[in-house]
Amino acid sequence: MLSHPEKAYLQALMAVRRKDYMSAARFFEQAAPGIKNNREFDLLRETNRLLLAVKRELDSPNVESSIDIEEKYSHG
Amino acid sequence: MSRTDNLKAFEIVLESFLERAVAAKEKRLQVAQGINRLEQIDSRMTSGVDPVDRLGEWFADHNRWLEQENLKHSDIDRIGRILDNIRNELDLENDESPASRKISSEIDRWQLASPQSTQSLVLKRGPEAAAEGDTVADFRKLIPNIGQLFEQYAVSKLHIMSVLDETLRTAELQKNKEALILSAFIIYYLKTGGYKVDPYVMRLKQAEKALEEDDSDA
Repeated sequence: MLSHPEKAYLQALMAVRRKDYMSAARFFEQAAPGIKNNREFDLLRETNRLLLAVKRELDSPNVESSIDIEEKYSHG
Repeated sequence: MSRTDNLKAFEIVLESFLERAVAAKEKRLQVAQGINRLEQIDSRMTSGVDPVDRLGEWFADHNRWLEQENLKHSDIDRIGRILDNIRNELDLENDESPASRKISSEIDRWQLASPQSTQSLVLKRGPEAAAEGDTVADFRKLIPNIGQLFEQYAVSKLHIMSVLDETLRTAELQKNKEALILSAFIIYYLKTGGYKVDPYVMRLKQAEKALEEDDSDA
């Protein structure tokens, strides 16, 4: 039988393939306790986590306004 | 370049990396999905779901694996075990329905086409014989001896691997069977702790061979 961590890893990869990064993150977290010393797994999990952080930042309403404020101050 | 542009560029890089990483694992992913699907069929049989149709679909989708080289030995073994289990659960030997016969022949075809899956190591021994001694008592006597041996080698050692190094050396040079058994015990202990034990297993085999040669000379 595929173990629960193996199944979760598989589901994470399938979620990445369909670009459902939120679900992938959830499955990576489920798989993590049972997958030790697997650098490939760690790399994919962290990359997915970073990608979600970037997407969150891009969705944030403050992403451009903070730059606008800096511009206003710099020109007096 | 604005911060947003940078973030978007970074987003593209990360997505592209993940896409290529998963694409590189595509074959393994398909195999894992296929095995997972077969396991689901097997597990649902216990809840009374008739698996014949779903098994037929599985064979239709995956028999091409037999002509390809996507499968590792461990995959073939795994599939073989699941199919054996399914065959037993379905009681195919006593079921003469056309669908069951078809499934049975598909399982046979799979196992014939993948001979690795049917190969197994069978350890056999003769019937219990009192004349050969009391194995339980022998093993009971062995345990404290191995414990003492361990204590002897563990003195001033900081890591269990240093102890293992000593026990392996003793097993090989002195042809000491108790040291050999203790080495095997420690190796298995390390293996369960996630250590790489391959080099020690090789040394264990060498020590075992030396001991066997010594026994045959005696």
